[in-house]
Amino acid sequence: MALLQISEPGGKPAKPAHRLAVGIDLGTTNSLVSASCGGKIEILPDDDGTYLLPSVVRYKADGEIVVGSEAKQSATEDPGNTIASVKRWLGKSQAEIAANDHAARYRFDPDREQHAPALVTAGGSKDPIQVSADILRSLVDRAEACLNGKLEGAVITVPAYFNDAQRQQTKDAAQLAGVKVLRLLNEPTAAAVAYGLDSQEQGTVVVFDLGGGTFDVSLLSLRQGVFEVLATGGDTALGGDDFDQLLADYLRERIDKQASDEASELVALHQYANQLKHGLGENDSVDIDFHGYQGSLSRAEFADICQPLVKRTINTCRRVLRDAGKTIEDIDNIVLVGGATRMPVIRDAVADYFGKPPLTDIDPDKAVAVGAGIQADVLIGNKSSDDFLLLDVNPLSLGIETMGELVEKIIPRNTTIPVAKAQEFTTFKDGQTAMSLHVVQGERELVSDCRSLARFDLRGIPPMVAGAAKIRVTFQVDADGLLSVIAEELSTGSKSEIQIKPSYGLDAGTIEQMLQASHEHASEDRDIRALREAQVEAQQIIDAIYAAIDADGELLEESEKATIEAAIAELQTAMQESKPIRIQELSEELNRLSGDFAARRMDLHIRSLQGESIDSVEPIGK
Amino acid sequence: MISTDQNFFQLFDLAAHFEIDGDALDVRYHELQNETHPDRFSSGTEQEKMRAVQLNSYLNEAYTTLKSPLQRAGYLLKLQDVEIDTVSQQDLGMDLLLEQMQLREKIAELPDDDSALPELETMKKDVLSKLQQQREKFAAGYSAGTIDVAKRIFHEMQFLHKLLSEIEDGEEHRLGY
Repeated sequence: MALLQISEPGGKPAKPAHRLAVGIDLGTTNSLVSASCGGKIEILPDDDGTYLLPSVVRYKADGEIVVGSEAKQSATEDPGNTIASVKRWLGKSQAEIAANDHAARYRFDPDREQHAPALVTAGGSKDPIQVSADILRSLVDRAEACLNGKLEGAVITVPAYFNDAQRQQTKDAAQLAGVKVLRLLNEPTAAAVAYGLDSQEQGTVVVFDLGGGTFDVSLLSLRQGVFEVLATGGDTALGGDDFDQLLADYLRERIDKQASDEASELVALHQYANQLKHGLGENDSVDIDFHGYQGSLSRAEFADICQPLVKRTINTCRRVLRDAGKTIEDIDNIVLVGGATRMPVIRDAVADYFGKPPLTDIDPDKAVAVGAGIQADVLIGNKSSDDFLLLDVNPLSLGIETMGELVEKIIPRNTTIPVAKAQEFTTFKDGQTAMSLHVVQGERELVSDCRSLARFDLRGIPPMVAGAAKIRVTFQVDADGLLSVIAEELSTGSKSEIQIKPSYGLDAGTIEQMLQASHEHASEDRDIRALREAQVEAQQIIDAIYAAIDADGELLEESEKATIEAAIAELQTAMQESKPIRIQELSEELNRLSGDFAARRMDLHIRSLQGESIDSVEPIGK
Repeated sequence: MISTDQNFFQLFDLAAHFEIDGDALDVRYHELQNETHPDRFSSGTEQEKMRAVQLNSYLNEAYTTLKSPLQRAGYLLKLQDVEIDTVSQQDLGMDLLLEQMQLREKIAELPDDDSALPELETMKKDVLSKLQQQREKFAAGYSAGTIDVAKRIFHEMQFLHKLLSEIEDGEEHRLGY
């Protein structure tokens, strides 16, 4: 006999249903998505069993959006409409993007400079936020198909060294893709989580993360489930792409230049350089055979070509050690993350600097996504968070502009987040009622050398003698590393408070508009059906009205008839132009215009049924 | 639950002295992080989340302040209502000012290549050992209640920190960083 199960009073309630959340590594070159499957974090494959989604999007003239390997393959045949490495452009101005060699094959949309610069493609103008959103959407679709359910949230990784603008735009892209962001997680921190939980290691660890387009170094202390970032540093414009570029430049000098100025040629050369680089991962030397040029390249020669880039990565390591107050002897292990750390030239340089070989037993492509998946599982509430906590830092100092265009630091880099710092300001003129604040991010002394985050005016300060007003400005950086500013006026005792978000991200209205546009686009089939339905319905209304005029046209004044006919003509135009919403509007308008007519006919027919003669009926209503 | 009304020492259950138990500070920090970190409230209400961000920001500020000997010294003085943001010449010994100027000039006159590195290394060790002495002096002055002495030593420590970071910048510059 089966026993009934009765839980203890006050005991734990039944386990809530598993909620679906994913970790997303939104990479420069490749992206991945991971989720908890049976208590273990797995990278989710596509239908073909492939894990890496190339971060490449092709926009076709018919509106089709192709994401991933198919788009990557079409890069040489359709370079102008195929966007790769878009992550490098998040948070950047048009001038900054144009300065990069990669941008040579694209055209900017002159009408779209306001929020984020947009590239002209056959499928319309696309800014980096939209392109990132299309990559995210593809990953979400994959996850929802794999997990067979709707996602409730995602942890998305960003380079630790991403600034406020780059973070905000990543978040905007997620919103545009319809994904709830549980947390923006720094990539090296994510990798440390994957590594630390796996190895149960305690101690001081350096994560060296060289991806396709970004570079981060983080120094962490791992202790009893607490992952504490002590310092981080990096370069958001340094990655495997740059090694390809240097090698492509080297090759280009040796190949007939006439042939290599076409966009498709540049892409082909870049891809060839990438192949050579990969070849050198396995062999000491590779043969070069490209467009008639033949030669060979050894690891040592490649190392020479890349020396400036390698040196930049090691310099960053040194700075991070200094910021953390640690020496090389304090470091227990070095973890390599990011596909570009497969290059022997990088492994050798890291081993040389730290005096010990880096760990290579974790998959450098997957560690970040796995760590993000673990954090997502905790934040959505599936996994107990008791044994696991991440403490991260802000990568760049936040400051404000002071007299002489100098920067006064408010929150220094490598401060544990969330963090809030308050600063008091006063007026310097009698009767002054407003003041301007300029918030910048960066390490340099001069405002012009830092990145401008926000400029805003505080107004409505009660007029007083100079120095009497007291304005407290609080700079708050949240756990995603995003800044908000709160200003309070203290002198009058009335605490007026405003909250300012930096302005380079999309404002809520723009996001809504873009969301709508993307929904319309994503549901193209549904739109076509809606159009067909509207057209059929409109035709039925028109047919019915013509039939009624044929039968009872004398019930209409000439002017009424003209109005109805004009409305019909307008509706027919809209039908030809395939505008479903306009067709619906005009159909309703036509229904309304012919309403009186229909009512009169109804009356007429009722009366005729009652036996009255048609001749005795007066037209009603004028 | 902790509150932002507590001062930094109260937050960590520590007596308000310059000498503190660094391990106890770390252990308590992690305990309080577990209680207040925003990740602990990811499924909470907006109000709970906001409160977590505020409390946790306060905790982080407190920890950073107490962890650094220089900032800890400054905070102790602030608790005694001592103004530490301004410093007058009388607050500092003339000897110290002269010594600082000489050391700065010495750094500036060093050759602009890696041949200067050994000299910089020597200077760095010297500054670090002086800092250690000043920390001991501050602890003694503060606990004896001679706050004006403590204030002077605090400002001297500020100078030494500035000098240390200049030496390190000089090293990085010469190493090509």
